[in-house]
Amino acid sequence: MDVKEVNSILIIGIAGGLAKLTTNLLKKRYPNASIMGIDSRAITDEHTSEGVTYVQLRYSRNNFEKVFREKKFDVVYLLSRMGHGHFRPKNKLDMAIRKNVMGITLMLDLCRKNYVKKVISLSTYHVYGAYPDNSVFLDEEAPLRASIEYPELRDVVDVDQKTVNWMWQNQYEAETVIFRPCSVIGNLINNTITTYLQAPMAPKVIDFNPIFQFVYETDMANCLVHAIEKLPFGIYNVAPPGVVSIHRAKELMGYSTIPFPSFFLETAINMANKGAWSVPKYLIDYMKFSCSLDNAAILTFLGKDFFQYSSVEAVKQLAKS
Amino acid sequence: MVLPKDLKMFENLKAELKSIMTPKKRFDQVFQKLEKIYPDGEDPWGLNLEIARTTLELVWPLYEKYFRVRIFGASNVEDKPYMIISNHSGQIAIDGLLLSVAFAAEVDPPRILRAMVDRFFVALPFVGKFGTEGGAVLGDRQNCLQLLGHGQSVLVFPEGVSGVAKSTKDYYKLQKFTKGFFRLALASKDKTEILPVAVVGAEEAYPYVYQARGLAKFLGLPALPLSPTFPLLGPLGMLPLPSPIDIHIGKPYKLPDLSPDAGDKKISEHVEAIKSQIADMIEKGRKQRREFWGNKLD
Repeated sequence: MDVKEVNSILIIGIAGGLAKLTTNLLKKRYPNASIMGIDSRAITDEHTSEGVTYVQLRYSRNNFEKVFREKKFDVVYLLSRMGHGHFRPKNKLDMAIRKNVMGITLMLDLCRKNYVKKVISLSTYHVYGAYPDNSVFLDEEAPLRASIEYPELRDVVDVDQKTVNWMWQNQYEAETVIFRPCSVIGNLINNTITTYLQAPMAPKVIDFNPIFQFVYETDMANCLVHAIEKLPFGIYNVAPPGVVSIHRAKELMGYSTIPFPSFFLETAINMANKGAWSVPKYLIDYMKFSCSLDNAAILTFLGKDFFQYSSVEAVKQLAKS
Repeated sequence: MVLPKDLKMFENLKAELKSIMTPKKRFDQVFQKLEKIYPDGEDPWGLNLEIARTTLELVWPLYEKYFRVRIFGASNVEDKPYMIISNHSGQIAIDGLLLSVAFAAEVDPPRILRAMVDRFFVALPFVGKFGTEGGAVLGDRQNCLQLLGHGQSVLVFPEGVSGVAKSTKDYYKLQKFTKGFFRLALASKDKTEILPVAVVGAEEAYPYVYQARGLAKFLGLPALPLSPTFPLLGPLGMLPLPSPIDIHIGKPYKLPDLSPDAGDKKISEHVEAIKSQIADMIEKGRKQRREFWGNKLD
């Protein structure tokens, strides 16, 4: 997509830290483009940037139609997903699936109707699932097995697949880029792995030590920005060079860990989920088995030196910040 | 009550014992070379060089004093990656562990063998971690090709579980070799040479074994060896006897000019040739094995 064609950008899920970084980079790259950000969450001052229109709205068909009716967008970023932390497992699981899957269907439908030129969607490496028989470096063709063991990951896989199908069906009308990043970490990122790494005292699974890839927040934001001009339609795993085991990552952070065998933590999570807490059970598997990504496709277009931080450097950077 | 002074004495005793049991200087030299290959100390397949050294130091007394391992044909190994093809024996796959020690500590240049292991092994708590941090890798096509592409030497047991889980009556009878390894060697980046290896002596570590295949299947286990001591004595009954073990390294098998997608018949010719080379080494090795009371039981 040519830089001159980018006049207006819509970011769905603007309240997150990654969206803020991306917005700032987009403003620099496309100073003349108008940028609008929407989110159902409250948008605090710390997340706002000058020259960007922020709208807090309830995610509903009417509200989205209104946004698209009032303005034409050349590029749409789909960065929003309702996490499982909002839902108690089992009884509200259907709500997560309904909201996320129906939400993405609606947004993609509106993109088609309103002739959006480029759609950039953020999925996750969780779609592949953490299994002992995962090959090292899964490419984009690898089967999405996440929901086999854990129904709570059903919506993550469904949203990804829905977007992939849409990408193929509309390949002549809109260019769609789907990112499946490895663990995104950074000071502005509010996800489980960043929280785990930053926790001064956290449990450590002693009977397993999987290999992780960590992409730093600024590198991920750069991927999202460069997707407009440099990436043709397709699915891209996002992972910087290098790997690091989860035990070493915790060591690099310089924090203490409390060693536990995995079965103990599984029992503790089961008990917590019966009580007031909601802890995604599937995360234990990611602490046991590796799910590493092949980044050859994205590097073909962005170049070998695109990532500023390797996995180890990303952890060190997080430790510094 | 344990006093700090006692603790210090204990630490000194431990260090002294370690220095007697492990050739520190040799291991230092080995790991200096390995650190150049793995500068990060870890690799994408889960290897952890620090843990690998600790494991090597722990296993060394078993390797040297308990199984009294001898190596023949170490001069056949050159400074390049190989696909090492070995017979499989010893019920609990001690052959893989001893081969890994041999190629790290006794073969020059040293290398961490990437043993291709079953999914069952990788998924086991502690055991899987211990294995992968020491170099073992889930045995699948993609991992094997990637490792060979990265200049790593992989260790393949083409007999699979049927090789290691044999009843006494089948000891030293090579089981059917799968053909996949040969196709992978042909498909590898630089057509990695195959290095045939025979391990002699591991079978006698368990002189009497009956494989309860039906029960193993029912319990979802890859194998269930029953012996006079197991399960009668519990885990203690799984302790192998100190059978002297010999590792015979054969001449490398040069790969033919053949497509990895060639028909089964053409591939089988080469697989059978490698199998027969290993069978010959086993036969010769059995003739020169050392006296051990367990040998007389077979």
